[in-house]
Amino acid sequence: MKNVKRLAFLSLVLILSFSLIACNNTKSSKNESGGKSDGKVTLNFWAFGATGYDKLIKEYEKEHPNIKIKFKTSENAEHHDSLFTALSAGTGAPDIALIEVDQLDRFKQAQDRFNNLFDLGAKDVEDQYLDWTWNNGKSVDGKFLFGLPTDIGPKALYYRVDVFEEAGLPTDPDEVAALINSPEAFKTAAIQVKEKTGKPFVDSMEMAYRAYLDAAPEKYLNPDGELLIEDKDNYVKKAYDFAVELNKAGVVGNFEMWSPEWANAVNDGSFAAELGAGWLKGWMEGNAPDATGKFRVATLPKEFSANWGGSYLTIPSETKHAKEAYEFIEWLTSPENQLKSFKSHGLFPSAPSVYTMDDFKNNEDEFFGGQITSVVFGKAAENISGSGYKGEKYVPINNEILTALTNVQEGANPEKEWNEAVKRAKDLLSR
Amino acid sequence: MVFAKTLYPIVYLKRGVKMASLKRKHLSEEKKDMISGYLYISPFFIIFLIVGLFPAIFSMYLAFQKWNGFSPMEFVGLSNFKVVLTDPLFWKSVYNTIIMGIFGTAPQLIVGIILASLLNQAFLRFKQFYRVTIFMPYVTSMVAVALVFSVLFSNQETSMANYIIGLFGMDPINWGTSEWGTKIAISIMVFWRWVGYNTIIYLAGLQSISNDLYEAATIDGASKFQQLRFITMPLLKPFILLTVFTSTVGALQLFSEPTVFLGNNAFTRNEAMTIVMYLYRDAFRLQSFGTASATAIILMVLIVIIATINLLLTSGTSLRERGERK
Repeated sequence: MKNVKRLAFLSLVLILSFSLIACNNTKSSKNESGGKSDGKVTLNFWAFGATGYDKLIKEYEKEHPNIKIKFKTSENAEHHDSLFTALSAGTGAPDIALIEVDQLDRFKQAQDRFNNLFDLGAKDVEDQYLDWTWNNGKSVDGKFLFGLPTDIGPKALYYRVDVFEEAGLPTDPDEVAALINSPEAFKTAAIQVKEKTGKPFVDSMEMAYRAYLDAAPEKYLNPDGELLIEDKDNYVKKAYDFAVELNKAGVVGNFEMWSPEWANAVNDGSFAAELGAGWLKGWMEGNAPDATGKFRVATLPKEFSANWGGSYLTIPSETKHAKEAYEFIEWLTSPENQLKSFKSHGLFPSAPSVYTMDDFKNNEDEFFGGQITSVVFGKAAENISGSGYKGEKYVPINNEILTALTNVQEGANPEKEWNEAVKRAKDLLSR
Repeated sequence: MVFAKTLYPIVYLKRGVKMASLKRKHLSEEKKDMISGYLYISPFFIIFLIVGLFPAIFSMYLAFQKWNGFSPMEFVGLSNFKVVLTDPLFWKSVYNTIIMGIFGTAPQLIVGIILASLLNQAFLRFKQFYRVTIFMPYVTSMVAVALVFSVLFSNQETSMANYIIGLFGMDPINWGTSEWGTKIAISIMVFWRWVGYNTIIYLAGLQSISNDLYEAATIDGASKFQQLRFITMPLLKPFILLTVFTSTVGALQLFSEPTVFLGNNAFTRNEAMTIVMYLYRDAFRLQSFGTASATAIILMVLIVIIATINLLLTSGTSLRERGERK
């Protein structure tokens, strides 16, 4: 009996220790974000895209030797999906997370998983930022601040000088802006490029669609969650029809953004223009070396002037170092550091005080043949009044319309595709 | 002497204890083996309980709730199942899964047997080299494979796949977005990756058939084809059963290959969406864990049905054969 009892006890100990090990694993990942309590603090920072924040992080770590920041960059969709999973699981979330503006509404549902930055002192820096971008980071009732704005995405017309020249279009940015000053003029120039060079004007249906869409004051949903795209004459349909029109004129290319083919096309100049935001500049400089000096930026017609992108630095409530995390993100989004991010990666500042800084106004871009691009983007930023409510299901609904547009490009009937996309969007909302 | 007398009871007691403990030791040997046996298998079961069983049961519970990951759960009964079963996208994904299963998995089993019998021939040189290369695709990194295949099968006219079909006089296909283009591209990916795995299993099966049987048959005057039909196939039956079963279950759960091949369009376009991709999209893109769990349960039922049909068909014939031999 004794031996059996002893063995039973041993096995119980083994089972308990296995379960303790399993539990400890989750606890220690929480502790990882905490670090030791003797002053050394480790912060986990998750971001996406090309931010160039690793350099700024090294600077911050030098000034604050007791803080270590572990920086992780992933691809846009995966980053937001992992963040969402970590937040809903309740463990594994980072101390600081960068969230893109399109995805922010999706995370606003989970208010209790984030720290209210107002509680950490964010009210003091409110004046530093543009009104509309600051307000986007707040909850509907305005009492909860999710994140500090990092950058905005004022759109401008990136165009290839060599393609424009071949097509007989002006190449100086001011002349281009004067010529392409309306959607009709845009279409005319596009057709001219096609006739003279055979190259598409815009790279993909998505770009042609975004031309009007990003500027629309209302998009797919209103704050009450109602679907707007079934209404007659809604803004989204207008954007859709314009893309269909451009496609019929044969000026839309087949390069899906961020694909290897698109990257090559940017490098080689296989399409004439991109209605891109300021942060595209940072990507181009790093990934399209052959295109140095071949691109310029011009102001878009005011119907197309809009904001695309921009992000917020948030602090999930799981963190054990909210104070240190907040100090870091306040430092990272301060006007001086926004200027640094702009110069290195084109992240367009969300703090208007930067626009008046000399360094900003005189920043000659070698990639753009010496053009001072900040002035163009700055003018575009001034014309932005807001970005229209997105809603939590913005990205999936947007994807349904993009699917319809791709089908149209391959020859499907535009009206039929539109109706089916609307039906699918309605179905999405019912989940 | 007095001591000796008083010691007697103690001695008897001790002897009694010894005898009893001998008996106990005798019993507890078996018990000891039993307990150590349970201890040896307990780590797997404990981990399975935590990582496998609990999520599966929780998922069955979730299927009756509406949950977006953050807010409290809301009981909705069978409504999630209704939503999924009336969704045309779900049925499209079932259709896609079955088509890609047939195109991608069925050829593997046939080609696998052929390759295995070729590899088993005595006259083949460099056998080891062939075996390793056929098995190599199975150990490659999924992401690297997807990247290469997405360039080989890119939508551009200049992609490798379009060039090859151009040689046969066909128009370039949109491999990433067309109905059959995506299915064929993904089926080729799946075939390439898994054919080696099935080949090695069949090879093991072929090698387990002793040569004496073949020699005896040859002496009795059986042709090569008769040998194949009456010796090889019946003895390979268990291996064929295994591969058909695992391939079917695996094909119904197809997820990684289409997801990485389609990249950004993986969860938005419906040409190559499989059941598990539909489930993933519900959970992680649409934040609807309830319907995702309902899909998982429907998939489980589907797998059980198809696997049962599979087993009945194949084991039915082997029972008949055994009956004949008797």
